[in-house]
Order: sequence, then structure tokens, then C-alpha cells
Amino acid sequence: MNLDDELRAALRREDPAPDFTQRVLAGRVVARAKATHQSNRPIFRMAWAAAVAALLIIGLTATYEVRQMKAERAGRDAVLALRIAADKLNSAREKVVRLEN
Amino acid sequence: MFTQGIAGAIPKMRSGETSGAMTDDPERFEELVREHQAMVFSMACRYLRNRALAEEIAQDVFLQLYRKLPSLESSEHVLHWLRWVTAHRLIDHSRQEKRRPQSPLEDAGEPVAADSTGNADPLLSEMLRDLVASLPENARVVMILRYQEDLDPMDIARALDMPIATVKSHLQRSLALLREQLSRTKGVGL
Repeated sequence: MNLDDELRAALRREDPAPDFTQRVLAGRVVARAKATHQSNRPIFRMAWAAAVAALLIIGLTATYEVRQMKAERAGRDAVLALRIAADKLNSAREKVVRLEN
Repeated sequence: MFTQGIAGAIPKMRSGETSGAMTDDPERFEELVREHQAMVFSMACRYLRNRALAEEIAQDVFLQLYRKLPSLESSEHVLHWLRWVTAHRLIDHSRQEKRRPQSPLEDAGEPVAADSTGNADPLLSEMLRDLVASLPENARVVMILRYQEDLDPMDIARALDMPIATVKSHLQRSLALLREQLSRTKGVGL
């Protein structure tokens, strides 16, 4: 045999391990899942941002409502206190008027 | 020229080939893997002399093929693309390997394969595989395409986007080197 033939024989094609095809196909599935995961990332990020924004709005609204309720209650308490004070003053004035007469 | 990027550098179909983009249908992909795995793996195995590494690189090449499949136009285009990508992957790999220190285990060659042809001398074949694997990167890949894939110099030049004169020069120099090494080490005159 000449060198060309010897080289053809030495460098002839050889099959990989029997499970090679299955490993490639499994790798394809993993690569596909990764690609899907990566392509879904913007959606996940947007959903996350929307959820954070919604929570923020709910929190601020609740805080505002609580403060509003406290202010209203304080106002009512102040009006009640003024009424009580006015009643006391009125009864004191009536006593003074009675003593003078 | 040989080291230019893969994108856009792979020649399209030759005249007479059927057109129509390949689909990334899993069954079609499996067929393509079965059809071309021996070619891709053997190129890597002859180039690297390491079966495990060759399988790893062949696997990467096929995964790259899966991503690229919709843009390939025919079976011939797929074959051409696989040769191109495998060759460049191997050259890039050996250049990276040169830059990092290797452990002795990584240097270990593959076990001697049983000779199924019956005609070739297994020891001579083993020696030739070792000698081819010791050639410079570009010459090695040219020799593999010439003697494993049985491509003529024109097809090798087209497959590697290399001038035909360079391909012929690599072949002549490699053959001369192999003859010299064989006659020196074993006294074999071919």
C-alpha cells in the first residue's frame, strides 16, 4: 500500500459512543429550555416591577387613609371637648347670674 | 483569511442544489445528528487524539447546528457548515490549549482502535494518526479533510475558505514530513 492508502485507512471515519446521539438530543432540550427561560426574562421582570408598583400604591393609599381617619377622629374629639367646655362655662355663668340676683 | 468569522463566510448552496430552509424539527435534527456524527466526531478525534474531548466538541458543534438550522438552506449546506464549524472549533481549541498548561492525563492519547479494514497495518495506522495529530493546526485539518473526508484540494479550499495553493502546499509539506518521519522512526518507505 502507498502512503495515500495508508492515510485513508488510518484516518477513516469512526463512530462516537453509542449514546452520543441521545446526549446531543438531551443537550438540545436543555439548550432549548435555557433559551425559553432567557426569552421569558423580560416578561418576568415586567411582572415583578408591576407587582412592586402595585404594592407601593396599596401601601401609600393605606397610610393616607389611616392618617385621614386619625385626623377626622382628632377633629371630632376637639369639637366634643369644646362642647363640654362650653357647657361648663354656661352652667358657671348661670350660677353667677343666680347669685347676683 | 482562514481565521475570519463564521457568520457570512460559509458559502451558500452550489448551483443545482435543492433550496428550502431547514427546519428545527427535532426529528429532522436527530436524523442530521445520526447522519453526520461519525464525520464530526472523527474529525475531532483525529485532530485531538482524545475521544472524550472529541465527543464534547462534536456535541457542541451539533448544538450550535440546532440553533443555526433554520438559516441553513439544504442538506449540502448543512454538511458544508458542519465541516467549517468543526474545523474552526478544533483550531480554536488547540490554540487555546497552547496558552494554558496541561496535565499529563490530558496529554494521553486515545487507545489504539481495532483495525476493521483488515488490510492496513494497525501499528502503522496508529503511528500515522499520531503524526497527523502532531502537524500544525491548519495542515492537520487539511490532512483530515483530504484523507478522512476524501475531499480534493479544491473542495478543501472551499470548505475552509483557504486559497487552493495554500491547501496544496499544506498537503505536500505534510506528506513529505510524514514520509520523512516514517522512514526515520520505523524505516518504513512509502
